[in-house]
Amino acid sequence: MRRVDTNIWLQRSLPWVLPFGLLLGWYLISSREIIPTYLLPHPGQVLVSGFDYILGDPQKGIYTGRFPGDFSASIGRVLLGFALATAIGLPLGLLSGRLEKVQLLLGSTLNALRAVPGICWLPLALIWFGIGLKTTVFLVALAAFFPIFLNAEAGARQINPTLTQAGTMLGMNRWRRVYRVLIPAAMPHIVTGLRLGMGISWAYLVLGELTGVPNGLGAVIMDARMLGRNDIIIVGIILIALIGRLCDTGLHLLLRLCFKSARRLT
Amino acid sequence: MSRNHLQIIYSRQDTSPEPVILEVKRLTKSFTSADSEQTIALKDLSFSIRQKEMVCLLGRSGCGKSTLLKLLAGFIKPSAGEILLNGEPLHHPGPACCMVFQEDALFPWLTVKENIAFGLANKPMTRRQKLQEVDRFIDLIGLNGFGSYLPREVSGGMKQRVALARVLILQPRILLMDEPFAALDAQTREQMQSLLQDLRRQFAPTVLFVTHDVTEALLLGDRVLLFDKNPGRISHDIKVGLPQTRSVDNEAFLRLRTHINQQLKEE
Repeated sequence: MRRVDTNIWLQRSLPWVLPFGLLLGWYLISSREIIPTYLLPHPGQVLVSGFDYILGDPQKGIYTGRFPGDFSASIGRVLLGFALATAIGLPLGLLSGRLEKVQLLLGSTLNALRAVPGICWLPLALIWFGIGLKTTVFLVALAAFFPIFLNAEAGARQINPTLTQAGTMLGMNRWRRVYRVLIPAAMPHIVTGLRLGMGISWAYLVLGELTGVPNGLGAVIMDARMLGRNDIIIVGIILIALIGRLCDTGLHLLLRLCFKSARRLT
Repeated sequence: MSRNHLQIIYSRQDTSPEPVILEVKRLTKSFTSADSEQTIALKDLSFSIRQKEMVCLLGRSGCGKSTLLKLLAGFIKPSAGEILLNGEPLHHPGPACCMVFQEDALFPWLTVKENIAFGLANKPMTRRQKLQEVDRFIDLIGLNGFGSYLPREVSGGMKQRVALARVLILQPRILLMDEPFAALDAQTREQMQSLLQDLRRQFAPTVLFVTHDVTEALLLGDRVLLFDKNPGRISHDIKVGLPQTRSVDNEAFLRLRTHINQQLKEE
């Protein structure tokens, strides 16, 4: 009991050590110009550009005040792709985990496809869907599908058979068992899969947006590279990291809010 | 034939016999292992249980007791033979034959209350009636104040109380119990045994209780079926005939126990 206090302190402070350490290192390197600013801009400059990008008046510069538009474009693509991946991957994964025939049917094909890096699909996606929303959503959905599918499958397969037997015995038919036993029992795995899927969604969003769409956080990064504005590139990276983190937390909270099993088992 | 080998030592005052509720006829179950070798778990098993009777199935581990219970619950299908419940063949698992598992069969994401209420979802009752019924059972099993705890937050004995309540609430025609107290410590087991006896007095369910503990079988059962291994079959069908309230140091009880122990050794 007497170690609790120090533990809480440690728990709260430890996550911040690395970001602040990196920031400090960066500050020192830039201030002493160990690395020239055209390669690595000064953190102060990045801060100013960041404020300008997020809060500035859109009329006054190329990147000024573009954030709200870029953000809504990007998050729309991520959510659309993620929703698509969930809608297909979750039921398919649960089915494959419970029914051997489905597993035999899908298993080897999906594992072969999984071995293909997502970036390989980019040229084909460009031919099929052109530059823009559809290509990005396709890439995001494709990438997020696998962790969602695989984890749902593992969760469904590892259910304690006694629980399904108990469900049947207590009068639940097949369909009700899905909602009252299968999904709750597989919930910890499902949550893991969805969180991994959400993380990878952001990675593939940037990939999709690098191809020349006019707006979006990935587009801004690519655009800034061409104009030599590496401060804006770093602003973009930091924003994507922050938003990705928030999305993960938000998703977890939402699942915990909606499902008893997510609240009590994760 | 060694059936009815043991003479009834103390016979209870015979009331008119209850009708037969469960009848097992020449039940056989064999399994095929991965290297396609046949194992016969149960062979030509026949017995019947009367309504309100409590029958204890006694045998060493691996003799097919659990297989028999799974067959009766409908979780697996027999290779040959019949199971008749009230004269009708048993098809699907369902609330008619409910099982209390050895351990870890509560839904871990549901509270004690929600676990007990689980099977009521299908019943034509109002929400309020269901809540009242659940509260009544929580009271019966002595878990007042624990209704909103999760299974992982209560003890092993409490979990088994909940497991018992969630099936009793459905008024099953037969209650199947698969060594339900085997994983508990001695003291808790005794408490659970007396709880089960209390509940029997109130609900008079028909019970088939699997155990490997001779004392437990004699303490609880009206009849004890001795199970023989390889292949699984019933070697003795013993009517216990002791008074309802039994004590382990009673002479008749001890004599019966010694006898059964001898039978088990001979096998």
